Amino acid sequence: MSHIHIDVNDLTFSYNKNNQVLSGIDFHVSEDESVGIIGANGAGKSTFLKILVGLELNFGGEVRIEEMPLNKQLLPKIREKIGYVFQDSDSQLFMTTVEEDVAFAPRNYGLPEDEVERRVSAALEQVRISHLRKKSIYQLSGGEKKLVSLATILSMTPDMIFLDEPSAALDPRNRRNLIKILNGFEHVKLITSHDLDFIWDTCKRTVLMAEGRLIYDGPTDDIMRNESLLLENGLELPLSLQQR
Amino acid sequence: MNKIGQAISEIQSLESLSKQDVWVNRIHPLSKLCLTVFYIAVTVSFHKYDLFGLLAMAVYPVVFFMIADLSFGEALRRLRVVLPLVMIMGVLNPFFDKTVIVTVGRMNVTGGVISMITLMIKAIFTVLAGYLLIATTSIEDICYALRVIHVPKIFVIVVLLIYRYVTVLLAEARRVTQAYSLRAPGQKGIHYKVWGSLLGQMLLRSMDRAGIIYESMQLRGFTGDFRYGKREKLTAKDFLWPLIWAGIILLFRLVPVFTLLGQLFV
Repeated sequence: MSHIHIDVNDLTFSYNKNNQVLSGIDFHVSEDESVGIIGANGAGKSTFLKILVGLELNFGGEVRIEEMPLNKQLLPKIREKIGYVFQDSDSQLFMTTVEEDVAFAPRNYGLPEDEVERRVSAALEQVRISHLRKKSIYQLSGGEKKLVSLATILSMTPDMIFLDEPSAALDPRNRRNLIKILNGFEHVKLITSHDLDFIWDTCKRTVLMAEGRLIYDGPTDDIMRNESLLLENGLELPLSLQQR
Repeated sequence: MNKIGQAISEIQSLESLSKQDVWVNRIHPLSKLCLTVFYIAVTVSFHKYDLFGLLAMAVYPVVFFMIADLSFGEALRRLRVVLPLVMIMGVLNPFFDKTVIVTVGRMNVTGGVISMITLMIKAIFTVLAGYLLIATTSIEDICYALRVIHVPKIFVIVVLLIYRYVTVLLAEARRVTQAYSLRAPGQKGIHYKVWGSLLGQMLLRSMDRAGIIYESMQLRGFTGDFRYGKREKLTAKDFLWPLIWAGIILLFRLVPVFTLLGQLFV
């Protein structure tokens, strides 16, 4: 039986009593899966990801990451296993240079400086931006910032990578480059996006969320062709399937 | 580029200056920090009438600007916001201290005038010393040096985060004012009726972004203690540099160099 990385049972969450953001979510991710999370605006995708990384802890139900229950005590251990890439790279990158930002996590985990150096080089190499190492963050383009954001979490050597709207604000070339890089990773990946073509290119499994519930969980190929289900839930067919 | 954009780019260019591969930038941050504090302490210790003694302290910023390959004009341009405040300092002195100290020709120069000039020069020198430190040392290095001398962790983290927050706040201010000006063509400045809502929006948005940045730090293992990377150990040059300067500064403080030089020609 394959190892369960994420185990969510009957998850509920609300910011206040009158606003139920997530309800009755059962979700499981096993070995090397790449899962796309799609849904219209306000469906609860980003909140769901935030709960999984422990940024929101006042949830109902049960969440286990790598068999550890998600709670305040185990949060540091859980976070070591997850790399989270924010939608807005400007909010993710806060050090002055690429090198310092990528080294931020390994240093926080108290690794010796030689190991930090090795991890920074490896992370930059993995996303093919070693040439940006000494550059200031503010000198980077949007596409470069996204890749640096990815490198900052790869240097943590996480087991899982969560990406929130990774293709937002990327031009076609950078988007294609990112797809190529993500497909080269063997990590468990959770990707939220409105860009259905991006999800199709990177995830074999997709879940559809609407009004805080999981509506569909299955092969990406199937849902991407299910026009009525997509339309019912505020989405449209991927652009690659739409007739001009 | 509007004024806020200029402010952001000036912060960024200061950061670039501190990252330059220049000899002075490679001196250990602790040496530079200690030297700057020493220079400031000595500069402010001059008596309020000791104008000529104080002028000799110009040697430090002048030589530093040359060695560090920094532009003095650029520094003055960057300090243009602070300098008027500096000039205001001591402006009331001539009204309170009317003791005649020296007579130049037929004009009496009072203690108030001299102390006003002395105060202004002290302020300019100390501001320049601070500028020289931040133009040759990154904020992380300065904070690292503060930690080495056992400045409380919480204080250093606050300094570091405020520095980051300033950029976030400025970026939000730029977005808000740009959005306003695009919908108020031909209008100069921002109408006072919307100041309140714009300021509120700006603060809320910048706090929101600062919150996301903090979350990003937490997710990468930040627990309130900023870990600095490997820093070079103190070498001979890191000791020599501040020691030589401390010697020069003390010499200029204790010996009235200008007066002695003047006596050579009298």
